[in-house]
Amino acid sequence: MRKVSVAILALALCLGLSLAAVSAGAAEPIKVGILGPFTGSLAHNASEMKKGMMLALDQVNAKGGVNGRPLELVFGDSSCKPANGVAAAKKLLSRDKVLVLGGGYCSSVNIATSEVANAEKTPVVVAIAISPTITSRGLKYVFRTSPNSPMFLEGINQWLAQVKKPKTVAFFMENSDYGRDGQKIWEAQCKKIGAKVLSSFYFEIGDTDFTTQISKLKKLNPDVTFNIASTTEAALIQKQAKELNFVTQWIGVGGQFTQAYFKMTGPLSEFAMGSSLEPTKAMKDPVTAAFVTAYQKKYPGSRPGIFSSQGYDNLMVIADAIKRAGKLTGDLAKDRDKVRDALKTTDLKLSQGTIKFGPDGQVHTVFPSVVQVQLKNCQSDTYIIYPPERAAAKYLVPPPWPPRLFMLRWGPPGRGRGALTAPGGRGAPRPYPLRGTGASFVFLLLVRTWNRFFCNKWSTA
Amino acid sequence: MESLFLQQVVNGLIVGSVYSLIAVGLTMIFGVMRISNFAHGDFSMLGAYVAVFILAWLPGWLGWVGSLLAAAAGVGLLGILIERGLFRPLLTRWTDLDQIMVSIGLFILLENLAQLFFGATPRMLPDPFGEATLNLGLFSTSVMRLLCFILALVIIILLQIYLNRARMGVAIQATAQNRKAAQLMGININRVYSLTFALGSALAGLGGVLYGTLFAIYPTMGAMPTLKAFVVTILGGMGNIRGAIFSGFILGVAETLGGSYISMEYKHAIGFIIIILVLLIIPHGLFGRSEE
Repeated sequence: MRKVSVAILALALCLGLSLAAVSAGAAEPIKVGILGPFTGSLAHNASEMKKGMMLALDQVNAKGGVNGRPLELVFGDSSCKPANGVAAAKKLLSRDKVLVLGGGYCSSVNIATSEVANAEKTPVVVAIAISPTITSRGLKYVFRTSPNSPMFLEGINQWLAQVKKPKTVAFFMENSDYGRDGQKIWEAQCKKIGAKVLSSFYFEIGDTDFTTQISKLKKLNPDVTFNIASTTEAALIQKQAKELNFVTQWIGVGGQFTQAYFKMTGPLSEFAMGSSLEPTKAMKDPVTAAFVTAYQKKYPGSRPGIFSSQGYDNLMVIADAIKRAGKLTGDLAKDRDKVRDALKTTDLKLSQGTIKFGPDGQVHTVFPSVVQVQLKNCQSDTYIIYPPERAAAKYLVPPPWPPRLFMLRWGPPGRGRGALTAPGGRGAPRPYPLRGTGASFVFLLLVRTWNRFFCNKWSTA
Repeated sequence: MESLFLQQVVNGLIVGSVYSLIAVGLTMIFGVMRISNFAHGDFSMLGAYVAVFILAWLPGWLGWVGSLLAAAAGVGLLGILIERGLFRPLLTRWTDLDQIMVSIGLFILLENLAQLFFGATPRMLPDPFGEATLNLGLFSTSVMRLLCFILALVIIILLQIYLNRARMGVAIQATAQNRKAAQLMGININRVYSLTFALGSALAGLGGVLYGTLFAIYPTMGAMPTLKAFVVTILGGMGNIRGAIFSGFILGVAETLGGSYISMEYKHAIGFIIIILVLLIIPHGLFGRSEE
């Protein structure tokens, strides 16, 4: 589609014809440029973004487009390299004469391309990029529909201030920019809400023994322990905290909650917290649920992730702004200014939440939902607990270990035996009576049937 | 009333017992064959993966005991193969640098093969005691950790008895003391080499199962035990088995106490600071004796 349009365009230019003269019909499409790393190592994520955008495009055009004219997307490949991104952006702006530049992925590319678009006085709406720099330079034509890095922790900050209100906190962070930057943001928030920081510990990536630090934490006994860590380290910390009988509210960023993490920790990671932008977790929100349903209808068998959701929202915001900008004059510079002014007053409810831009062009109303690991149907998984309008579960205060372990072993179905025996759990075998005899076979059969009914799974016990 | 000091000592002893177990294998191989085996920790990694597969097939403490035996046998056998196929042909003609290069190559090869065959996903071994913990008032630990500690001790004691009482054990010690004299006394040096390498590797495999039980299992997990085993070996005197045993515990406790009372960030550095100090002041290690 894109190749064809580019070919036609090239042909038209070759023949020395003015494009405007060729297609001045009433249903002439409005062109929106979309940048993204469609090749290279991020191609998969970019294709997720594109899938979200194509869904938005379908929805907009099915309703007759914008002010009677259909939208058309023109894609530009940045390969996540600033030089390629700038070249692609320049082509979109001057050759394709797009009205708005959307998409974008990779902070370094977007820092460069937003500058280019701003110089051309073209509104640019960045869909996915985390660096705060993009919207902090005072550029008048730059907007961003995704949260920046400090905002990724904003949800947790609000939850701390409004729900948990901890008196004492401690930091147990990965010794990297990831860990240290997170600590700065949370430290500021703790100061604001009057929580006392007891101590800060760090560990190196690749460490395996955390007992020294956990023993010290246990002595300090903080209400909340911030723990930014990746999968392996986070899982080991949960396990060793159990071994040392240490109870706290663990809070991380959320990136550690992978399949491998749940496989390693099973029910031991229950009550740990982080944040998540996964739309499938926020099905309580009707707008998000509608997006997920529409997405799965268009792409059967796939699950929309954070990038699909951000791509969808990005194009929806652009379409809305063009609509509110009113009938286009045909003078590109004037139209671009009109769209820019319309973008400023955006107020939409989309798959990530409410989208409103601040004076800097940054969306300040979207932040990842706070999730907590909870044990349901014998499986640990993350559930949104904050903000209340998206919450799929209630916040649970971590109980002390001895009763918790007792419950895991002997408790009722769903929380009890099943949790330890379910395939997704640690698969820890229980001492069962008469092992090695015929009776144990019958007993195992009973346990399996039990799990079949209460956990919806054949256990591996 | 929980005591932080006692808790840290217990943490240190438990980790130290596994350091000892792995380092004893390394120091034995060095003592007898003069090989610094940089792939030693990867033998531990292989032992841990043996446990992963056996426990997936046969969960429970039975599977855990089985995986200890299988890891010792499997990694020991692999040790014999590597000794016969790789180290022995080079034994007479190489320089120290050659064997270091060969063992580093082996380390890279094993790590990448593991990544290829087992995947990079980290795993943990299930706890045969259903996550049971021990809260003893003064300190807390889990049944599993305590068992790892006891097992490491038992294995080390059994090894000591074997080396001091059994005929081949004494032959190993004799070869370590003086290769030529041992040969003149009618000891079959080649058999001693095979046995030493097999024993050393089997200890690494056992240590790997314990290390994997305490921590996590992934293809690159071998690097840490290798480093720690070298620290322990140098601290105890290269080739000194009894030295390695005590040094393992010393390193474990020094790390946790140092991390707790001096600086958490320098926890790993403590081991290396000890190495430098030992090499500067007592080059033969805390328990070493001069060979001249």
